[in-house]
Amino acid sequence: MSAVAGIRVDNPQVDSTIASTEPALDPESREWLSSLRASGREHDQAVARLHELLLRAARFECARRRPTLPHLRGNDLDDIAQQAADDALVSVLAKLDTFRGASRFTTWAYKFGLLEAAVKLRRRAWQGREIPLEPETWSLFAGAEIEPDKSVEQSELLETLQQAIADVLTPHQRRVLVALALNGVPIDVLAERLSTTRGALYKTLHDARRKLRGHLDELGLSLETTEAN
Amino acid sequence: MERPDLKQALGRLLGPAEPEIGCDECFEQLDRYVELELAGADADAAVPGLRAHLAGCPACREEHESLRALVSGEQAL
Repeated sequence: MSAVAGIRVDNPQVDSTIASTEPALDPESREWLSSLRASGREHDQAVARLHELLLRAARFECARRRPTLPHLRGNDLDDIAQQAADDALVSVLAKLDTFRGASRFTTWAYKFGLLEAAVKLRRRAWQGREIPLEPETWSLFAGAEIEPDKSVEQSELLETLQQAIADVLTPHQRRVLVALALNGVPIDVLAERLSTTRGALYKTLHDARRKLRGHLDELGLSLETTEAN
Repeated sequence: MERPDLKQALGRLLGPAEPEIGCDECFEQLDRYVELELAGADADAAVPGLRAHLAGCPACREEHESLRALVSGEQAL
């Protein structure tokens, strides 16, 4: 990761230093940074415009997910969008100096609004639901359709996988894999329940997957049918 | 009810075979990646490992789809 500090448009010397290693800012992005770093009325107006932009992103996300959340009413969704925009505003302002102009400022800011809304909606959808973490509560690929001409190989692969999940993984890796990859628990929801971060959980999932792939490889089992979709 | 496809189920379980970046790096690069995609540039070459991460992480995949849809919709206006 680059350790270069954020571009400061109010300091030409820093601008010219960074110009050789960072993309040039487009005029609109430059204006956003300049006004957000200003003081007084200009700053306040820029913050209000930024909140509007983030609210647009949050509402966009709520609208996209609405069909999967039939129990939420329009007012609930708008409350979630408002909260998401408020939280995203805090994040964007705190991270302003990390914006390096690799995209337009609005695209960079949008992702914060979308993320906050998506996380809130996923958590709301799982509110009050129990999260199955233990191997006893699942049956590996129950009912999965096995191709007739590969039934022996695929049955062997499934049995080996089930055994490997029980024997090769640590208890924590097993719980995370079962919840995320088998039971479809959203990663933000599991992170909240386990008091950890999304990044840390994905690292655990990645390590567990690598262990399983390595184990199957050692046994000479074909991974031809295991490409991610 | 349609029976789950074994290949898809195995894909969800074992994730991508190729090297991938993590969720934090994905979030950091997502805006650049989406703009490159929408510009018709080779986003996968510019941000190695992000495409594989999207294949293995449903949450990041959803956020990528949303950002791409939002930005492309604004560009179309």
